[in-house]
Amino acid sequence: MTATAAGDPPRRRAAGWAIVCEREVRDLWLGGRGLVLSLAFSVLLSVVAYLVATNQALNFLEQRESVNLTLQVAIAVGSLLTLLAAADSVSGERERATLESLLLTPVARLAITSGKLLGALSLWLAAFVITIPYVWFLGRGIGLVGEAIVAGLAIGTLLAVFLASLGMIISVFAGSNRVSLSLGLFILLALFAPTQFPISAQRGWGEILLRVNPITAGEHYVDRIVVNGDGWGDNLSWLVSPIVAAAVFAVAAAFAGARYVRLGRTVH
Amino acid sequence: MRVTPVIEADGLGKRYGAVVALEGLTLAVQPGEILGVLGPNGAGKTTAIRILTTIVSPDRGRFSVAGVPHTRPAEIRRRVGVVPESAGYPGRQTGEEFLRFHARLFGHTRAGAHAAARALLAQVGLAERGGSLIAGYSRGMRQRLGIARALVNDPRVVFLDEPTLGLDPAGQRQMLALVRSITAERGATVLLCTHLLAEVEEVCSRVLILNRGRVAAEGTISEVARRAAAPRSARLRVPAEHVDRARRALAAASGIERVEPANGQPGSLTATLNGDASVVAMNGGLRALAEANIPVISFELEGARLSDAFLAMTSES
Repeated sequence: MTATAAGDPPRRRAAGWAIVCEREVRDLWLGGRGLVLSLAFSVLLSVVAYLVATNQALNFLEQRESVNLTLQVAIAVGSLLTLLAAADSVSGERERATLESLLLTPVARLAITSGKLLGALSLWLAAFVITIPYVWFLGRGIGLVGEAIVAGLAIGTLLAVFLASLGMIISVFAGSNRVSLSLGLFILLALFAPTQFPISAQRGWGEILLRVNPITAGEHYVDRIVVNGDGWGDNLSWLVSPIVAAAVFAVAAAFAGARYVRLGRTVH
Repeated sequence: MRVTPVIEADGLGKRYGAVVALEGLTLAVQPGEILGVLGPNGAGKTTAIRILTTIVSPDRGRFSVAGVPHTRPAEIRRRVGVVPESAGYPGRQTGEEFLRFHARLFGHTRAGAHAAARALLAQVGLAERGGSLIAGYSRGMRQRLGIARALVNDPRVVFLDEPTLGLDPAGQRQMLALVRSITAERGATVLLCTHLLAEVEEVCSRVLILNRGRVAAEGTISEVARRAAAPRSARLRVPAEHVDRARRALAAASGIERVEPANGQPGSLTATLNGDASVVAMNGGLRALAEANIPVISFELEGARLSDAFLAMTSES
């Protein structure tokens, strides 16, 4: 008959979250969805890099600003991809009727959602790796590349964790996958909207809003390091919101995953 | 010696808002048994399975599966296999990948999962298609893959929720053969939910009928059929030239209320029986026909079948 689990040496068994994460990454990348999204991301970043490089050549944009602009776009779009992948994670499985067989395994729901969350974050990492050559090309020669890459990775990862957790929470509670994806996208756009505030609106209450919003606060921090050349410790207060948001939403996603992942309400 | 039931439930209840999904479900299933759970749509069959497999929490009651109390859900899931109703399968994975993934979630190593997946694919007749994407599988192949997934942890109890739904007759037959092999070869207990009474009559040792979340009847098929107390009649066929004599002979037998020609075939008669002794009364009627030298071409006692019991017990819904 079948080989039983009891016959396997315990030390070689992987943790449930790792197995789920591995499958998520395989589905995402070998299934083709991750590759298509990464290709679209590359095309977008190429267009942005071309435009900023042209503007730089015409002296409309400083070299630091062109690096910053490219990095900001990469963080924004990379975290958007992460949010969309996370927003599909539970509601998508529920809609495709594959959630029940996952819940029927002895793996804890927290481990299942953690694995899915980590799988979704692989999209951000891929987006960031794609961004590195663009940052290097635009920022070479002024000693900015290293700082820009570290700042982008740190802030982008915080924002990706925050948005992936947010997407996961939405996905756990959403009645359908369409609702989950739409709501996730809507919230993301609402969070990005303040980045378009005019300078005059970025004082007083406007500044408080920018500081509270993890996206605008994070992008502001990157902007100060890349464009103004500020030190890592000069604007730490702007990091409070992204760090708190990433931590709080990751814990909330873990709690929602452990307690509220359920099948649809059907009586048979 | 008393055998400990492998599934025990006591007063399980579940509501979804105002809708009562399950009310006071109490049952005991013995090791190696195939219990058929019957019921119309909304009777609570799937809810019962979801509670017993710990993916839905009951509002009331307690249960144990394979000797593990409901307070240790992960341990229960480790010991059960489930084929959910209308289960989805990831179309972009191969059958073997799907089974390997689930085997690892149940604690197999990579190598163990690989071996388990190959063995199960062979057992359910999918060895040749294990490397194909599930998207290309037929409905029957997906159901067989679902059975293989349910067996990946060598379970003591297997829950099957409408496993033959949407299958053609050949597929249904294959599926029922697999169900029988689960108990015969593995010694596992099976709880089979279905709409199809013929399936229950074919493979189940006992039956439980649910109606509106409550147990309407439980026992062996003949016990349940007898308890149904459905109106009984017998349908028989004699050569057309003997119909009048047959009617007179039957009408003279005690316990037979009336005899009427049945619609359809010539020579067919319907004898309506009365009282609890109706089966015995029909014996008397058949004896009367034999004594009158009237050949009986066919005979069927209606109201003694599981389908009659099912309809009688669920007709209000």
